[in-house]
Amino acid sequence: MTTGASPGGAETEPELPAEAWVTALTTLDGMGPARLAALLAAFDDPADAWAAVGSGDLSVAGPAVAELLGPKREGTIEAWMRGARHLDPAECWRRHVEAGVGAIIRASPSYPQAFVDDPEPPSIVFTAGDPDSLVGPRVAIVGTRDCTRYGHDVARRLGAELSSAGVSVVSGLALGIDGAAHAGALDVDGAPPIAVVGSGLDVVYPRRHGALWDQVVQRGVVLSEHPLGSAPVAWHFPARNRLIAALADVVVVVESQERGGSMHTVDEAQRRDVDLMAVPGPVTSPVSSGTNQLLADGAAVARDATDVLVKLGLGSGARRSTTERRRAPSPVDQQVLDAFDWQPAVIDHLALRTGFEIDDVALALDRLERDGWIERRGGWFERCAKPERARREP
Amino acid sequence: MLATVPSASLLGVDGHPVSVEVHVASGLPGFTVVGSPDSVCREARDRVRAAILSCGLTWPPQRVTVNLAPSGLRKGGAALDLAMAVGVLVASEQLAPETIADIAFIGELGLDGSLRRVLGALPLVDAVVQDTVVVPPPSMFEAALVGRHRVRSARTLRELVDALAGTEPWPDIEVVRPPPEAAATLDLADVHGHPMARRALEVAAAGGHHILMIGPPGSGKTMLAQRLPGLLPDLADAAAIEATRIHSAAGASLPAGGLVRRPPFRAPHNGASSVAMIGGGAGFLQPGEISLAHGGVLFLDEMGEFGVDVIDSLRTPLEEGTVRVARAHARVTFPASFLLVAAMNPCPCGEGLRPGSCRCSDASLLRYSRRLSGPLLDRFDLRIEVMPPDPSQILRGQDGESTAAVAERVQAVRERTRARGVDTNALLSSRALEEVAPLSPEASSFLERALRAGQLSARGLRRVRCVALTLHDLDAVDPPISVKAVSFAMHLRVEPRFLSRRLAG
Repeated sequence: MTTGASPGGAETEPELPAEAWVTALTTLDGMGPARLAALLAAFDDPADAWAAVGSGDLSVAGPAVAELLGPKREGTIEAWMRGARHLDPAECWRRHVEAGVGAIIRASPSYPQAFVDDPEPPSIVFTAGDPDSLVGPRVAIVGTRDCTRYGHDVARRLGAELSSAGVSVVSGLALGIDGAAHAGALDVDGAPPIAVVGSGLDVVYPRRHGALWDQVVQRGVVLSEHPLGSAPVAWHFPARNRLIAALADVVVVVESQERGGSMHTVDEAQRRDVDLMAVPGPVTSPVSSGTNQLLADGAAVARDATDVLVKLGLGSGARRSTTERRRAPSPVDQQVLDAFDWQPAVIDHLALRTGFEIDDVALALDRLERDGWIERRGGWFERCAKPERARREP
Repeated sequence: MLATVPSASLLGVDGHPVSVEVHVASGLPGFTVVGSPDSVCREARDRVRAAILSCGLTWPPQRVTVNLAPSGLRKGGAALDLAMAVGVLVASEQLAPETIADIAFIGELGLDGSLRRVLGALPLVDAVVQDTVVVPPPSMFEAALVGRHRVRSARTLRELVDALAGTEPWPDIEVVRPPPEAAATLDLADVHGHPMARRALEVAAAGGHHILMIGPPGSGKTMLAQRLPGLLPDLADAAAIEATRIHSAAGASLPAGGLVRRPPFRAPHNGASSVAMIGGGAGFLQPGEISLAHGGVLFLDEMGEFGVDVIDSLRTPLEEGTVRVARAHARVTFPASFLLVAAMNPCPCGEGLRPGSCRCSDASLLRYSRRLSGPLLDRFDLRIEVMPPDPSQILRGQDGESTAAVAERVQAVRERTRARGVDTNALLSSRALEEVAPLSPEASSFLERALRAGQLSARGLRRVRCVALTLHDLDAVDPPISVKAVSFAMHLRVEPRFLSRRLAG
């Protein structure tokens, strides 16, 4: 797809591939996926679409484009025209090629199969990493950014187990559940992870996940609808969620509030008849309210990777036994551990439930934390389902 | 003719003796004040003249020059009014010089000749070397606290002149005592639940450790903080006098007993400016909230809402126990050794303590975490999360231990501490700590593990040792420091969640 300038071509008119013109169009302000799709549908050649935008005369594009532009169409067309004049498509394309970013348009033979029959297919997909990572079975693991230790543990374990079973983990690289799922997938040597992001592929967001992002690029692929340099604007994320839903064979929601961003992914999955699964959580936990509601509405239960694999038609349903390698707690510590009820707790709660002195509880908590039974977050303690692989040894 | 009248002027919280020299001689009628008076002090010209005329005395139709010696000292306020008026009367021969021998005069004058209250009567009178001092009636109580002088007063300049001249006896003026304080009604027994927070308050009071409470609205942070002064022992004599001088200089009311014996509790609102907080002001340097809290508790509720520069200006006073306020014309050192108690919400939405219940965006959390600088956070030996108590404890919980019972343990710890040569454990130097608080082998390996895991910095290690020592003192157990004390000290020092939250992917 990197044809570059034609041999012996004049400098003023280098022959650019169709991808270059689409890329140039995506850089324009307010050019969302729907507008881009309508614009490209109106012209046979993306270069003509670019020329029409540059001329400021979109009447040739037909009523579909005009309708999408809405009441402020004059201003938008004007802005596009100005934007198009200031941008050199060849220069823009050269930047993408030099950065090693792939660009796949709908006409490309490598256009992902998952998007072909999609109700809202992306007109262009930028890729960092290996685009062939998209061939295997895929499960999206999504959830809230503000997750509990429980959600974090479950997401990480699901990511690791699905990945080692040969299923690619699709997620958004966001904080919380998304990141935990990818971290789990990277913990094992398994199927390539897939991330869909809402910014340009050179704009790492959230920045805290820079290392995770790089690892996904190396071992799998990061996808984006946006050209290099695009900021993570709020409206990119719902659009990003639709791609996650479109890529997934199954969407697993680990933890989400009833009105969380993950519920948008759920809606998109339902539009596409993608199977939906949810991880049950405590009925008292606000971040499990959304997932518990999904279960009540008939979503399948995802207790572990086996449940998901069965849904995918890949598993037998035989459960793996989990081996326990933690040092068994002493009887006193066990009492403190039992007082948790699998809910986050502070020392005050535990002292009240066990009847121990607070400094005895504190000491017990330190031992439990050392042996990997609990995890500390500020003054809160949470019981761990399983010690993390990448646990730092003291 | 020349008259010299002794008086005093306030700089910071200290009085300085001032000689008011009045010269009345022939020349163009006029009234000049020289010797670095500030604007309020210069306005004395008009007050003194009107007061003398209102009392039926004569203003000399001559040239009047007032010199305030030493001239290097900047004189502020109106406390020199009375001395100037008396000086004019003596210099114009309306009063005999011998009638004012060995008497100092301190007071502000009204245009009607009345004597008005002055700020800082206690330090002003303390600076007076004469046997007798004349002060306005409302300041008699503070003046008498010094105890070295015969304190005289008069309601008006006329009364004063008559008494000095001997034509009338000194007026019989009742000393106005401040109303007795309401007995401390805030008892720790009213606090239900909160075992960690109660313990932390006790440790803070016993060891002089600054404490930061993080909790959602309504969890009881303010209630707990208000009960801390009750746990502190009475101020020792020197500290009580120092605190009283500060209160006097700031014009704050004094307790009925005169000396500020109970540790003060200051809770400035979060709109306070840094001058209001650390002291200063144009012209007349006044002690700020941190000095008013000297010997007691400074409570900053909603610390996240204070100006960032205001909060950061607390760092040096916290380290040194004093604050040096410097202006172009004067430099003053205010005592400011206080116990800092701060309360803040865990995040802007206030719900962020329990994992998974915060509704704040990353950006707003980041902004919030910038409000508390790392170096200041380091000053808090105790950082606890305060949660609303369990409903069963609110409704059916037994009363906790009373303030009196806890205060007794605190007092015992303070006595143990004094044997180490410091007032509180928090002030122990690292060398002294090495000596008085050796670690048991288990505690040592526990701390080593925490250091290797990055849970503790070198500075944090010292502070944890300090708190562990206080815990030992509270149990009246001698060091070596046990692993239990070290572990609990670490639990009393949690990293605030808004700093660490969401860092785990």
